[in-house]
Amino acid sequence: MTEQVASKKEEEVLAELDSFAELPDAPPKRKFRLSWVGWVSVGVVVFWLVICVIGPSIAPFHEMDMDGDDSFLPAGQGEYGYFYLGTDYLSRDTLSRILFGARNTIGISLAATLLAYLMGITLGILAAVKGGWIDMGISRVNDAILALPTIMLGLIVIAALGSSIPILIGTAAVIYATSVFRIARALGQDIMVQDYVEAAATRGEGIWWIIRAEVLPNAAMPLATDFGLRLVFVVLFISSLSFLGLGVQPPASDWGSMVRENLQGLTYGSYAAIWPAVAIASFTIAINLIVDDISAKSGGSLAKKMV
Amino acid sequence: MMTRMVMQRIGIGFATLIVVSIIVFIATSILPGDVAQIVLGQSATPETLAALRAQLGLDQPGYVRYFSWLGNMMTGDLGISKAGGATISSLIGGRLGNTLMMAGWVAVISIPISIALGLWAAMHPGTWLDRIVTFGTLSLISVPEFFIATVAVLILAVELRWLPSTAYMTGDESFLQLMKALAMPLITLVIVVSAQMIRMTRAGILNVMSSPYIEMAILKGVPRGRIILRHAFFNAIGPIINVIALNLAYLVSGVVIVETIFAYPGLAKLMIDGVQTRDLPLVQACAMIFCATYVVLILIADVGSILSNPRLRNPK
Amino acid sequence: MKDPKSELNFRNLTQADKDLVDKMVQGGSGSVTRRDALKLAMVTGVSLTVAEHLLTDGKAVLAATPKKGGSVRMASNLHGPDDQLDPILFTSTIDYTRGRATYNSLVQHANDLTPQPELATSFEPNANATEWTFKLREGVTWHDGSKFTADDAVYSMNRHLGENTTSVINSVLKSVKEFKKVGPYEMKAVLHSPNADLPTLMGLFQTKIVKEGSTGGGIGTGPYILDSFQPGVKSVHSRNNNYWRDGANLDAIEITAITDPVARVNALISGDMQMVTQIDPNAFRQVESADNVTLLSTPAALQLGICCLKNSEPGSSDDFVKGMQYIQDRERIVKRVLKGKGSLGNDTPISFAHGKDFCSELPQREYDPDKAKFHFKKSGYSSAELFVAPVTSGVEDMCLTAQANCAKIGFDLKLKKVPTDGYWGAVWMKEPLNVVTWNMRPTANSQMAIQFGPGGNWNDTFWNNDRMGELLSLSLAETDPVKRHDMYCEMQTLIHNGSGMVIPAFSNINDGIANNIMGMPTVPLGQLGGNEWPEFIWLA
Repeated sequence: MTEQVASKKEEEVLAELDSFAELPDAPPKRKFRLSWVGWVSVGVVVFWLVICVIGPSIAPFHEMDMDGDDSFLPAGQGEYGYFYLGTDYLSRDTLSRILFGARNTIGISLAATLLAYLMGITLGILAAVKGGWIDMGISRVNDAILALPTIMLGLIVIAALGSSIPILIGTAAVIYATSVFRIARALGQDIMVQDYVEAAATRGEGIWWIIRAEVLPNAAMPLATDFGLRLVFVVLFISSLSFLGLGVQPPASDWGSMVRENLQGLTYGSYAAIWPAVAIASFTIAINLIVDDISAKSGGSLAKKMV
Repeated sequence: MMTRMVMQRIGIGFATLIVVSIIVFIATSILPGDVAQIVLGQSATPETLAALRAQLGLDQPGYVRYFSWLGNMMTGDLGISKAGGATISSLIGGRLGNTLMMAGWVAVISIPISIALGLWAAMHPGTWLDRIVTFGTLSLISVPEFFIATVAVLILAVELRWLPSTAYMTGDESFLQLMKALAMPLITLVIVVSAQMIRMTRAGILNVMSSPYIEMAILKGVPRGRIILRHAFFNAIGPIINVIALNLAYLVSGVVIVETIFAYPGLAKLMIDGVQTRDLPLVQACAMIFCATYVVLILIADVGSILSNPRLRNPK
Repeated sequence: MKDPKSELNFRNLTQADKDLVDKMVQGGSGSVTRRDALKLAMVTGVSLTVAEHLLTDGKAVLAATPKKGGSVRMASNLHGPDDQLDPILFTSTIDYTRGRATYNSLVQHANDLTPQPELATSFEPNANATEWTFKLREGVTWHDGSKFTADDAVYSMNRHLGENTTSVINSVLKSVKEFKKVGPYEMKAVLHSPNADLPTLMGLFQTKIVKEGSTGGGIGTGPYILDSFQPGVKSVHSRNNNYWRDGANLDAIEITAITDPVARVNALISGDMQMVTQIDPNAFRQVESADNVTLLSTPAALQLGICCLKNSEPGSSDDFVKGMQYIQDRERIVKRVLKGKGSLGNDTPISFAHGKDFCSELPQREYDPDKAKFHFKKSGYSSAELFVAPVTSGVEDMCLTAQANCAKIGFDLKLKKVPTDGYWGAVWMKEPLNVVTWNMRPTANSQMAIQFGPGGNWNDTFWNNDRMGELLSLSLAETDPVKRHDMYCEMQTLIHNGSGMVIPAFSNINDGIANNIMGMPTVPLGQLGGNEWPEFIWLA
């Protein structure tokens, strides 16, 4: 899924690069569009996507098995098997819970972020392009939701509707669509007053043509950067719900909750809270580095020459 | 032109407030249990529930309570907490000050740092400098804030004993003592909000750098610093101001975890408490404050974007 | 299993106990005999156990006479805009603590749960315990300078009675018809039915005495004067120099809450707070290994329970309930979840902490997956959904343990995690399977009556047993200790075998205090010595 997004963005970037081709200073076209950092990041993301699929089958224990001899054990041989990353606060195998949890954390956050983007961009660009009462109506409701704290909204929805995975995804998507909407609308408005858009409008191009050919490509890069961050926020939102005692249902594990429930272990020198934090960080940083790499190869290429 | 827009925005702000109050009203009424149920908790009996409901006026229909709240609100009367019986203004008073103080300090520290680092990274895209900033910011924001906060407490308060582990204020401390008490939540929040602002500043400027007029400026031989600061930054400022505004709004309304971990008496935790006790007047009052803050910040952001973009300033 | 009484030592004695020692030593010629001590104990109502301890520890107690001065900050686990100063609505530790610092009750619970005089100097029943006469203390003044009289006591107690009361202990005091003034310092309780335990009930957290006509408002007769109170933030109290008895050793106390358990422990160890409540089992090791603080673990009957509602599926099947009971790995729950600071539960709400009424003869139910499998199979269910909220620490982990054990025998126990707020109204006594906890009640009778009294308001498994109801009232009037114990044993056996209640374990009450805090009471009815500490502690 992530790769599809990335490659779609790349096409847009290429289209953008083409438009500079006639400039004397035009950046050279490249076959390899990612730097080595980018490729490493792609590797990390692919690794986690594979774990999402096969994680549960390669895990040495089940995520609910309490087979450790004691809580917060360091890595080592236990009575029932080898604990590669030690045990958590309930004597469960940390490695197995990370492998099982990949599905929930990555699945829920990617699904919610993509859904948020779909809603946010559609409405944001619509509001920017149409303006008037449509803009006014969408913006007021958007502002009202955005003005309320995310955790409170999450708390209310989940307390009222229960905490199933589709509800988690839907809640996170609606909450984060509001921020996407604002950014998309701001970018859209900026672009709508650029000369090339006005030129296109003067040429008599239709509204959808303008959106597709002018607005979207030009808004793509800032939105892509935001996408990476938004994904991080969704992961963190799910884990902050676990802070309030909600989130995914036990015994299912998600990385954010694993950090939360094993925090106490830090005082005993246990890594049970650190490993899931590393897992979250590796995945989200990789996604953001890919996005960065692409943006550095587009807008940055010219700026780099000035250094 | 500008004044008309501002007046119009203030009008819009009031419309948003009403929408928020309706959303809050509907949201809290779909939650299981009411304030009487929560106050009596496990000891509730049908008789005591009925008695408490009558005493709190909960036996009236919802819309009656909503409009009487709205009416009182218009006259500046925020009402009385259903759960505890204290006046809402006394509950909110000190906490609003605390929240604004914390948000103010975080903003003063994080905005200059973020814009400077974002600009710096944008000037050197793809270089090691850029990568260090990028990697650093990403690492810090991709772990949950309760993790950052707890690790900071374990190191700075429990192990080294340099700073207090909670932001406990006695009310009569000196400025230095106050800063010491607030240091831990400040550090945590600066880390959390700076990262996003740095990244959006960088991305916004890189985006503008690919515009034809910047290329033209480069071709004309305009010095690099001048291009970034005079041309690119001003054109990228719209989205950047928006991100800053959203982060400031977050600092006022969304820092419940930091307030919880450091036992800092701010508004965000008060609102969550209000939701958990189904204390509608309290939740409404907090929502009104958050919404008003948000409307003002967004208004400033919009005015800022318009002023910074000549085309938006003078629409044809 | 540790005998709770061995926890008693001079450090844990209440101020009242220590006063007695002072009196004994000062009043006598210097040599105090056991008989003298026991005589004094009878007069003042201190239990024999305590009196005997006083004798052995007398010297040490004298050496450790309370010092005046200093201040402490105490952090509870929960607070919010619903913090109260009105005793009849007290529901949380922070309310109870503020109440203890500000007000007095008529009766006070000693460490062994015997009722002691407080604002009442004595309490006597009539022959058949249908009337109780309370003699009230003279010379007590309110914080505003006015005099405490029987009018205040009668007003305060009658607030719990009647149709329109919002008192949370309204149904606990159901047996009282009215409280009547019979003299300027004498009050009478007229009962509907005999109740030998009435004085004990008069010491509940909600029975604090407020000024006539008020709802509390922070004006009490208690050891500390309320200087400031911000609901959900903190309260500041300073010593009441006109307190009617010796006590109130500190200059000031501050009461607040830190809701995050990890932050609460860190605040204790870093010295920001001197007393914190509810130490999470995962933090025991951290507190015990810190050299400036002490973990106070008081054995109590704080139950971790699962209610299987008998009036709905699947709890209506006795085999299902048996399955749920046999699948509980009780040893492991006490060892791993409660980290040893707890005791085994035997599917009854009575633990050894209740003292002589605990039925130790009842065989302990063990973890037996084969029996569990057999009963689940016989019940015809292969899966069930249990509603879980973190109503007390350890209860979620207990359910996770049960879930893992169920999975091993092929039974699918689904856990549905729900928020604590709204739990008591929306889930408890409504969903067929839900978790529950009960604060320990001062007597075994009130503990069982509240949960298993037929048709009661809080009969949370909807198990109605006529014999149970009969025994509950018979045992209250029984004076022969052997017969009484037999009755209590029969009741516990009935619950153990017939009800829908699964109680795998009892948790201790676990709090943390700074090492220089002395004189902590150990009343097992609540956090930090049953919230009795404000009057007794002092700083070494």
